[in-house]
Amino acid sequence: MRNSLPVILLAGFFLVYACQPNPYRQGKILYNTQCAGCHSEDGSGLAKLIPALDTTLLKLRQPQELVCLIRNGLPFDSLTRQQMPANKSMTDVEMANLVNYLGVKYIGSPQVVRVEEVTQMYTACQSWKRPE
Amino acid sequence: MRNRLFVFTGLFLLCIFCFEACSPEPKALPILGERDIEHGDTIYHEVPDMVLVDQDSQAFQLSKLGDKIVIADFFFTSCPSICPRVAKQMTRLYDHYKNDDRIVFVSHTIDQRNDSVTVLKTYSENLGANNVNWKFVTGEKDSIRLLADNYFVSVVDDPSAPAGFDHSGRIILLDKNRHVRGFCEGTDPESVAGFFKTIDQLLSEEYAK
Repeated sequence: MRNSLPVILLAGFFLVYACQPNPYRQGKILYNTQCAGCHSEDGSGLAKLIPALDTTLLKLRQPQELVCLIRNGLPFDSLTRQQMPANKSMTDVEMANLVNYLGVKYIGSPQVVRVEEVTQMYTACQSWKRPE
Repeated sequence: MRNRLFVFTGLFLLCIFCFEACSPEPKALPILGERDIEHGDTIYHEVPDMVLVDQDSQAFQLSKLGDKIVIADFFFTSCPSICPRVAKQMTRLYDHYKNDDRIVFVSHTIDQRNDSVTVLKTYSENLGANNVNWKFVTGEKDSIRLLADNYFVSVVDDPSAPAGFDHSGRIILLDKNRHVRGFCEGTDPESVAGFFKTIDQLLSEEYAK
């Protein structure tokens, strides 16, 4: 009886860990350090100056366009005077984690991006156009 | 019997002491900055009463606001680093106080070259600010720098910084007489949470009738 307590606790810990609403913890950390400064911790953006993520992500063809958007950023918008910066130094693991984190948080049933797919996706970015 | 009396008196005094210690009188908000004594009068630090221009091309001057307290910051529209965070907190404060006509919000641009009056107007509209009680102002570069200094907000030209400016995200509180009474770090939501109390305290002190 005494010996099974740590096993029960460990099992309980894993159960709680596995049942986390969003399993992409590195993605969340990346978001908070790289993106939350502009898009806010809760993804609400800043009025009409910086878009809220729930509406923006739904407009993009997932996950390809999201990967391109994060990687290449956007040109300076002379009306809002804001610019989404590029994130070219992000590793494939980081990109996959971030995109998957955003997918779980803001899109119903996101298509999971695998690390191996990320570099391929970058090559398809050349022909991508900014969503209206 | 006497021992019991001592014990009860001691407990009673302890209760009073605790009660007093736990609910102290709030101290009056200090006036921040240096002060001089002239002919026996204390002269407190005051923000200069400069004439600036707002987003509607109207002249803006603190002394012409009437009896209002001021919540101010320094920013520029294309700022990629701290400004979106600070603007978010300014809107948080604004949403809470926008219907209180004892308060005016003032955002000063430090990018005189790019942030023209038209740019400020568009920016303020996109931010959702009602230009009656949230003014977006500009002026001569040297004047704005001097003003920032007096508001205890650091603004420096730094070629290595994004867009060439390095500046603090402080949000400053002025009373009706242009004295600095408080501030918070606009990049820190917790600091701003405490700032609400500072503003409320100033409102109750300045409009105590």
